[in-house]
Amino acid sequence: MKYALSFSLNGFPVDVMVKTTDTLLDVLRDQLHVMSAKRGCDTGDCGACTVLLNGKTIRSCLTIALTVAGKEVNTVESFLSKEGELHPLQKAFHEKGATQCGFCTPGMLISAKALLEKNPAPSREQIVEAISGNLCRCGTYLEVIEAIQSVAAGEGKE
Amino acid sequence: MRDGKYFAPAGVEEAVRILAEWGEKGTLLAGGTDLVPKINYYELRPEALIFLGGLGLDYVKESGGGLAIGAATTTARLAEDAMVAEKAGALAEAARLSGSDAIRNSATLGGNLANASPAADLATPLLVMDAEVLIKSSGGDRVLPLKEFFRGPGQTALKPQELLVEVRIPALKGKTAFKKLGRRKAMTLSVVNVAVRLDGNGKKCNEARIALGSMAPTPMRCKKAETMLQGKALDRELIKACAVQAVNEASPIDDQRATAWYRKQAGAALVAQALNRISGLDS
Repeated sequence: MKYALSFSLNGFPVDVMVKTTDTLLDVLRDQLHVMSAKRGCDTGDCGACTVLLNGKTIRSCLTIALTVAGKEVNTVESFLSKEGELHPLQKAFHEKGATQCGFCTPGMLISAKALLEKNPAPSREQIVEAISGNLCRCGTYLEVIEAIQSVAAGEGKE
Repeated sequence: MRDGKYFAPAGVEEAVRILAEWGEKGTLLAGGTDLVPKINYYELRPEALIFLGGLGLDYVKESGGGLAIGAATTTARLAEDAMVAEKAGALAEAARLSGSDAIRNSATLGGNLANASPAADLATPLLVMDAEVLIKSSGGDRVLPLKEFFRGPGQTALKPQELLVEVRIPALKGKTAFKKLGRRKAMTLSVVNVAVRLDGNGKKCNEARIALGSMAPTPMRCKKAETMLQGKALDRELIKACAVQAVNEASPIDDQRATAWYRKQAGAALVAQALNRISGLDS
């Protein structure tokens, strides 16, 4: 049996029909074709499916879709400004070469955005901690840290 | 395959009613961090999924000088809550060292305990705090010491119709500490974890609690090691002997994360470090 599910996605209301065992990642990719969140491991280990739920990072692959009823989900698709400009974090990732194959990038961006919203001037250690749940198999960690530092204010900045 | 049913009860009473009806066929869902991988990999096809996020069990309250913490409280909140830091320091530390940001935002206290992993990080701090759990069912309430809650890997004292509702930490005497060794810093299960509590004045120890995780089929207390410290003046030698005694009470296994031998060596080192630190022998 399928259930009706309504939630807010990137500021827009969405209504879908889902199975009990569908995860938020299933719904985003397979039904709504919002493709920034990636299916890496489906066990919560890799971080490629990280999205924001009511402003906090979560793994969309570990989140049963029906549990987000009435809540706000944001993916990297919401980062663009109304004029279509990239978010400062996206610009910084681009400029610093913080993305190689790109598979981990949306998850990294989500973790970085959540960090800066909570702590606009993080230390290097706090940045490392914030992305510790996002694996990058190309090994772009140093560039990712540099990119986040370049957007952060204060001491973390180089 | 038939799709299962989904319930999102709005309160504890309603959840308990649904559980009474579904019993063993009902699967409880809190943060999902342990449960959903099993669903994603078809190890589990629940006939009914009962979501516990809407029961109002996300709270930290002061209670009789101690704490009462709702079972649906996230590990992120445990890591950041000022009252938890003040009254249950080792629990806050264990929460902070678990998973990563996105996992801590979902994972819950009740889920970590009810999943009953031998390596559950939140279990050992609560064991040294003599915590109790409040369990509800349509048949009534019961309160159980946490040390009687764990029965084996993935096995608890919970009956199919029962719901873990709250964790109670009494007003604590002394200081607590938590230490964890994983294969890496973040997103890792404990190879071994250790929680200790010491109550004493100056040099004499009045009461000691030592708990080990990932060292036996369940998180465990080390009673003989605790007795070694009772009423004694603590020094490094005694602590070292006590740490060795603690791991000798355990029965670790070889697995993909570490060998039993390594777990004992590392466990004894962590017990000694934790005891040295809170007894003031190490700053």
